[in-house]
Amino acid sequence: MSHKADVKRFNELFVPHMNAAYNLARWLTGNDNAAHDVVQESALRAFRFMDRFAGGNARAWLLAIVRNQSYTWLKQSGNNRWINIGDEIAEDDIALSHTETPESHSIRSQDTALLHKALQELPPQFREVIILKELEEMAYKDIAIVADIPLGTVMSRLARARGMLKTELVKLYAHE
Amino acid sequence: MNEMHCDNCQKWLHGYLDNELDTTTATSIAEHLKSCPKCNQVYEGMRVLKAGIREHIPTYEMPSSLSRSVFAKIEAEAHSTMWDGLQNMTKHWGAPLFSAAAVAAAFLLYIATPSTQDEWVDEAVSDHVRSLMVGHLNDVISSDRHTVKPWFSGKLDFSPPVYDFTAQGYPLVGGRLDYLQHQNVAAISYMHNKHVINVFIAPVASTDSVPKNSSERGYNVIYWQQNRMRYVVVSDLNTGDLRIFTELLQKGM
Repeated sequence: MSHKADVKRFNELFVPHMNAAYNLARWLTGNDNAAHDVVQESALRAFRFMDRFAGGNARAWLLAIVRNQSYTWLKQSGNNRWINIGDEIAEDDIALSHTETPESHSIRSQDTALLHKALQELPPQFREVIILKELEEMAYKDIAIVADIPLGTVMSRLARARGMLKTELVKLYAHE
Repeated sequence: MNEMHCDNCQKWLHGYLDNELDTTTATSIAEHLKSCPKCNQVYEGMRVLKAGIREHIPTYEMPSSLSRSVFAKIEAEAHSTMWDGLQNMTKHWGAPLFSAAAVAAAFLLYIATPSTQDEWVDEAVSDHVRSLMVGHLNDVISSDRHTVKPWFSGKLDFSPPVYDFTAQGYPLVGGRLDYLQHQNVAAISYMHNKHVINVFIAPVASTDSVPKNSSERGYNVIYWQQNRMRYVVVSDLNTGDLRIFTELLQKGM
């Protein structure tokens, strides 16, 4: 009869991370309504499976659920672009970052609308590591838990994500 | 610097950027960047990009309607699992009569258990955290007590005292209706140096009591009873400043 204790434990563990849950769901689905559903379902799952949380980082644990729910939605909605992931840094990304001038790059990196669009254009596996690192300020070990990849892959995934983001910025800038 | 070193530098660059490398590796990267314009240009580009993202990419705020529905769902789920638990127990014992009695007893226990000070404090802290997390601090936003106080009339069967301590450094921010320990309460918020202070007020039958301190999950709580009202003050403000605020509230001036 410990439902009060359960709710209390849920409040202590996961309520402080609800905003992070919504932010990740919103960035991954790109859609208010979907983020709404994903957060509700994730909170319910976190509550139901709270017994399996064996300590550690509650935020990473919750966000891992949110990520799974977001991917389920993405698959069902069918409008995403799935790509094969090789984590080696693409040669053209490196080449590109060598050719452009620091000034032009700096201007593009300060353009909010352009950055926003470029990030939303990245495949979800790359978008999520940037969100987790820069917006949620998570450590590599926690990003590994959320994104379900080995710790050693986090750095190369981020490297590739940033390279792709730069390429995307150049592309979008050229089209403006 | 040889090519090998540049390859290594490229490999570890992002770990360096994110402050995730051990000191030895970080130092050798820093050394290399000083002497290699090519790698340094890549690094600078990534540094600018990282700073740009942090500065310009928005964090989506969870709508308060969503947080309310999440909390409602969790409460509902908690109740339904308690119900299931009882049903399983009775199935196991196979005694329908016992079942009815157990359910009735459970609900009586749940409803009739008098709430203690601890429970008030505990729930008030949860509520304080929630009010900050969900961006639903106030239903009536005003620093004018002549706006906040009348807002409560008709919504509560008591009139909570509302003050403005702007001159003393604790300006009034607003008020909202809240629900603590199965009753409607007034939640009135004040600010002090960017710290939110929530004051929960509810009528109480028992006599006055002197303020007590408590600390819960990193929040300071001061609670007392005065003029047949229960006060629970919650904030992440330090105890000293919170005590000064409490004294102002008690004097009501």
